[in-house]
Amino acid sequence: MSTHATKRELREQRRADRLAAEAAAARRSRVLRLLAAAGLAAVLAAVAAVASSSGGAEPAARPPSVGSGGFRGIPERAGVLGNPDAPLTITEYADLQCPVCAAAARDTLPVVVRDYVRTGEAKLELRTLQFIGPDSERAARFAAGAEEQGRLWPFVEAFYAAQGQENSGYVTDEFLDGVARAAGVDAQAAAGVAGGARAQQRLNRANADARRLGIDSTPTFTIARGDGRPKLLRSWDAATLTAALDAEAAR
Amino acid sequence: MSARIAAAGFAVAGLAISAYLTVLHYAGGTPVCAIADGCETVQQSAYAELAGVPVALLGLAGYGAVLATLVREGEGWRTATAFLALAGFGFSCWLTYVEIVRLDAICIWCVASAACMTALAALSVARLLRAPVTAM
Repeated sequence: MSTHATKRELREQRRADRLAAEAAAARRSRVLRLLAAAGLAAVLAAVAAVASSSGGAEPAARPPSVGSGGFRGIPERAGVLGNPDAPLTITEYADLQCPVCAAAARDTLPVVVRDYVRTGEAKLELRTLQFIGPDSERAARFAAGAEEQGRLWPFVEAFYAAQGQENSGYVTDEFLDGVARAAGVDAQAAAGVAGGARAQQRLNRANADARRLGIDSTPTFTIARGDGRPKLLRSWDAATLTAALDAEAAR
Repeated sequence: MSARIAAAGFAVAGLAISAYLTVLHYAGGTPVCAIADGCETVQQSAYAELAGVPVALLGLAGYGAVLATLVREGEGWRTATAFLALAGFGFSCWLTYVEIVRLDAICIWCVASAACMTALAALSVARLLRAPVTAM
């Protein structure tokens, strides 16, 4: 009886040991599968990130070119595009690295320039902010040089056409030379201004104006009548701008 | 509440966010955004598409796939959920880095989606590790 019980116990013990070993093996196998899934997931995410990153860098490879020529024939003095005595002043606050500013230049400005600046109802000014990074500052300083040549707006248009990945260091001397060539700007003269006090004054003015008006994102447009306080627009689309300009003109 | 039901809830939330952003992408609209123009900046950046496919659409497919794996029980399905959620979590980390460092703009919808994917990754791994082990 005692011998029989011992044998059964031994059998059960062996079975329990086997089940425990199988469960431990299953757990090990599960952890290995999870690690393999995590590794594969990391590789997949990294591939997607690299593809996404190269997508962002793609615009830098485009050659600078001025597309619309929408400013042709409109006078520009000290960065002010259009009739200096126009009753309304549109001021754009932009960072040249900002992709939405490029979108606004492509989608909104042509309408505004055609219907209000070219007709003499409004003049257009630009304040180049530099909050995105060092490339913004290099671009803004060079833009000050283009401004002194009466070519700020063509320069900005050409810059946006060649805009690259933000803060990738793409705003090199070579890049700026290419943009300047496309915009009809004397690159050497503009570079001379970019490193000087006059460019710094323009940057300081843009930053001070933005601070005074509480502008913290780009592009932001303001509209002012005469010397009146600028009215801040909360959107940058053509419909918002034209509605605000019509309202100001009707006052 | 089981990890499976909680994960399904986060997947549905992520699916809704992705669907909203996908519709806006194709309709050309602007997302309702609580943080200045952050959503507009992010949605119009070069990072909003991956090889020509809107990232929002990829998110929609990802959340849909996670939901599909949650419907069935079993070791293989639990592993598949964890794999998808971890891949989504990794890509969400990259996109959040892009928003903060490269675009200097925060899209609240993208942040919400990243939070959903993070919760999904944690829940799916916990669900896989805590499931009863069946001997082979």
